[in-house]
Amino acid sequence: MFVCEDKYDVIVIGGGHAGCEAALAAAKLGAKTLLLTQSLDTIAQMSCNPSIGGIAKGQIVREIDALGGAMGRVTDHAALHYHMLNTGKGPAVHSPRVQCDKKTYQFTFKHFLELQPNLDIMQDEAVKISVSDRSVDGVLTLRNTFYHAKTVILTTGTFLAGTIHIGTEMFRGGRYNDMPSDGLAQNLREELKLNILRFKTGTPMRINARGLDYSKFRLQPSDNPLQPISHFTDVREQSKRTFLNCYITRTTLETDKILRENFQRSAMYSGNIHGLGPRYCPSVEDKIKKFPEVTSHPLFLEPEGFNTEEYYIQGFSTSMPEEVQRALIKSVPGMEKASITRMGYAIEYDFSDPRDLFPSLESKRIPGLFMAGQINGTTGYEEAGGQGLVAGINAALKVQEKEPFVLRRDEAYIGVLIDDLINKGVNEPYRMFTSRAEYRILLRNDNADLRLMPHAFKLGMLDEKYKSAFEKYQSLCQKLIEHPTAQADENEQELFPWTVEKARAHADIYHKYAGYYERNKKDAERLAEMDNVKIPEGFDPSSVRGLLFESAQKLASVKPQTLGQAGRIPGVTPADLQLLAVHIERFRRLKNARTTR
Amino acid sequence: MQQTICALATGTGGAVALVRLSGPEVCRILQELTKHAGVPDPRRQTLCSIYDGEEILDKALITYFQAPHSFTGEDVAEFALHASPYIKGRLLELLCERGAVMARRGEFSERAFLNGKMDLVEAEGLCDLIASCNKAAHKLAMDSLGGKLSERLAEIKRRLSELLAQIEVRLDDVDEEMTPLSDKFVQGEMNAVLGHIKALADTFSVGKYIKDGLKTAIVGAPNSGKSSLLNALVGFDRAIVSDQSGTTRDTVEEILEINGQKIILTDTAGIREHALDPAEKEGMRRSHRAMEAADLILFVLDSSRSLTLEEKELWRDIRRQNKRTVIVWNKKDLAAQQPPLEEQEKYPSAAVSCKTGDGLNALKTLITADVTEAQTADGLMISNLRHYQSLLRAQTELESALIRLQAQAGGEIYAEHLRGALRYLQDLIGEVTPDDVLGIIFSKFCMGK
Repeated sequence: MFVCEDKYDVIVIGGGHAGCEAALAAAKLGAKTLLLTQSLDTIAQMSCNPSIGGIAKGQIVREIDALGGAMGRVTDHAALHYHMLNTGKGPAVHSPRVQCDKKTYQFTFKHFLELQPNLDIMQDEAVKISVSDRSVDGVLTLRNTFYHAKTVILTTGTFLAGTIHIGTEMFRGGRYNDMPSDGLAQNLREELKLNILRFKTGTPMRINARGLDYSKFRLQPSDNPLQPISHFTDVREQSKRTFLNCYITRTTLETDKILRENFQRSAMYSGNIHGLGPRYCPSVEDKIKKFPEVTSHPLFLEPEGFNTEEYYIQGFSTSMPEEVQRALIKSVPGMEKASITRMGYAIEYDFSDPRDLFPSLESKRIPGLFMAGQINGTTGYEEAGGQGLVAGINAALKVQEKEPFVLRRDEAYIGVLIDDLINKGVNEPYRMFTSRAEYRILLRNDNADLRLMPHAFKLGMLDEKYKSAFEKYQSLCQKLIEHPTAQADENEQELFPWTVEKARAHADIYHKYAGYYERNKKDAERLAEMDNVKIPEGFDPSSVRGLLFESAQKLASVKPQTLGQAGRIPGVTPADLQLLAVHIERFRRLKNARTTR
Repeated sequence: MQQTICALATGTGGAVALVRLSGPEVCRILQELTKHAGVPDPRRQTLCSIYDGEEILDKALITYFQAPHSFTGEDVAEFALHASPYIKGRLLELLCERGAVMARRGEFSERAFLNGKMDLVEAEGLCDLIASCNKAAHKLAMDSLGGKLSERLAEIKRRLSELLAQIEVRLDDVDEEMTPLSDKFVQGEMNAVLGHIKALADTFSVGKYIKDGLKTAIVGAPNSGKSSLLNALVGFDRAIVSDQSGTTRDTVEEILEINGQKIILTDTAGIREHALDPAEKEGMRRSHRAMEAADLILFVLDSSRSLTLEEKELWRDIRRQNKRTVIVWNKKDLAAQQPPLEEQEKYPSAAVSCKTGDGLNALKTLITADVTEAQTADGLMISNLRHYQSLLRAQTELESALIRLQAQAGGEIYAEHLRGALRYLQDLIGEVTPDDVLGIIFSKFCMGK
């Protein structure tokens, strides 16, 4: 065994969307950080579709960006098509979506990582997390190297004991053509005794554009004017770039027939898959099975890059056998003559019950172990990135012995995401929707900067050079909210990357939602008050007499840290909370009496 | 910020009722209710007029306790009022209209304890109280309410959450494929739910009777003394009384207060099946209608003679109405013993003499007894003031949603109001979580990539 001399504050295992953000954030906060990945050539790879953002997810990217994460900036760099979704609806649900050149995306991100001080990157596979004194102390890798670490962040994606299915064919893999992490899976399950469960997800086939009949598609051109997804991108420069088109087509009755005739041959229905899949991102065979009355489903063709003819077919996720997949493609108008370059497949993988996590994303079972992304039962690049960022920040803060960074539900979709995960757990891969946010009016794409940059500057996640411009923008917004017709003669240069126009737009949206803003804020304040009531160390909420039986059980398994968190556990009643409040106070007084005696 | 809570601190009965208000908004609410007479000096009983709009609701003794020198440790006001159900109920309504909420059981004591105003021993009792309410409230959610009420609540829950799902699925539509909801559909659904909520709120006994009065129909054979009873209760000659049967052809309504309860008495035409006079026939039709609309039926019989065929038939009719009914044996002074009556042991009864006034007080007590447990027109009832306030707030939410819909506001805006309505109804229909809404979406719509 070779023992690496360097003693790391933070080791990130996995170089996907969660791992990359985690490593950058931890290093940015001054923690000596190591990123371990199986392959540097697939770092930050977009394993499924070539797009970043989308409904609710676009808001998350804006939040990551405002908090100093890289996803937004990398996306703008790799962009090949912009589309703002939901513009026909209110600004609270406007969501940016950007198609990317996959290779540009991953290599840009790799470059960002390489340039980051305090961050080492190493191509090596973790097989064991070393724990001593009930706390993490290092990582052992496949080639028998030991790295010392004070904290470890697990971002394993679909790699833990991954199994790939195409029809009845199945083989081991963390992604097509990549080895699964079996050693680490065994370590987590058997030695660390984490509560490991299994999920399933899938991806559609890719096709060669040669032979496509575009006349049968509906064109979706890139937005003009466009809106960059990062706050820091210069919109004028960005608009000068070249963009590609996306296309929309539909499945036919023939598609429907092929799927019906071959249901039993899909990996989903053959009995080989035991993991639970998501309801909202179903395979095309799922759609036909569950909604037989819908005879045509939309398909969205997304270019995989500038220097390739490959297209990703959104809506065609499948685990049918190869011959069925070939027949399916031929049944779609415009694709009759197209050839498949990569087969669609389903993948099963291990994840760990997120109810075992603190809001900081640190494990309650093993101090120093953090988790982010699919290992917590989520799906999506954006959901992964958001968690990675929070885990990275918190691992660094822990090493520095500082209070953890926790976003509230009224501050960010990332806050909603983590709060849902740790309190409710998951029974299907978790994807963000705007309907999950009770403060939807507050959590918008246009105000992510105002919501979160103050945190980012305080933490040290954002470059100080933006601070004065941001503060000018903040006060300009305030001025325009109070006096909508006020003159705004701010120097545009000093305001850059913000603009007077953006401030005016913000003030308009504020006024549009004024009453609802206040209402959401008031509710949020009440919530914050409950969150200020900490459940003291040594107090066992489930032991409180008079709680409903189910509530007591849930409190015992979630172990909430605050009264507010207890209230968000499904099934816990207002009277349960009243009891808890009284008992917490009782506990505190008894303890005080004991210590003063 | 903590909410300001209110509750009735005394039980029913007694001449003085005590209503307690606690929380950060006590001073503002006091100012508003007393028309800026100013907040009374702390710890001194002060006589103040309480206003309901321009009118004085009551002159009450108000004691203000300034935080932290109060029972709860917060600002507290105590209102000592005349113990009329109307005045008590209306004051609580006025407090809620100004932003207070009805306290949960034990909530005043809970605050007292949390603010250090109560010791550990006392807290034990408090915990027992909350625990017992926890079980009861849990049972209340939906199933144990039973019958029509739970059916209606289930219907409200289903329609509201499905409408919300219809709106949410469009806000979260990834493919931008879904056809927009027609305003007409949304409006129709909202109105349907609103109708159910209003109907339920209207069944709230205390609220309803306080506001509208207890509708009491006086029925009986011609000349059994219905109008005399009405007059005896009202205290002066109001209806035309004569010895010739069938004098009261119109229904006569009289509003009066009995034991602090507003009562609307309806004197109906004598019900005689074979009436020939067309005017009398019309009068009888109205009587039937009055009976159907009533919350309480007073069945008047002449105790000095045995029942006629018509009266026996009428008695069957009344029982079929399935309403709270009091049998009134009139002309007590003329009879030593009452004639037999089928199933009479199942109904409360009073023997009175309208002539001498004998037995009238006992009858009045029966009329107002158990008002809170009375059955209303369609057998539904909301009996808890907290639930009633929840219904009213949900109603306001839906009304706002409809206004915003007409103003062409977006789905994300009326979704806010639907979410608000669901939150207010939580105690009644159980919690509807975002996961529940997503569940409806995924089961009804094929969505996602």
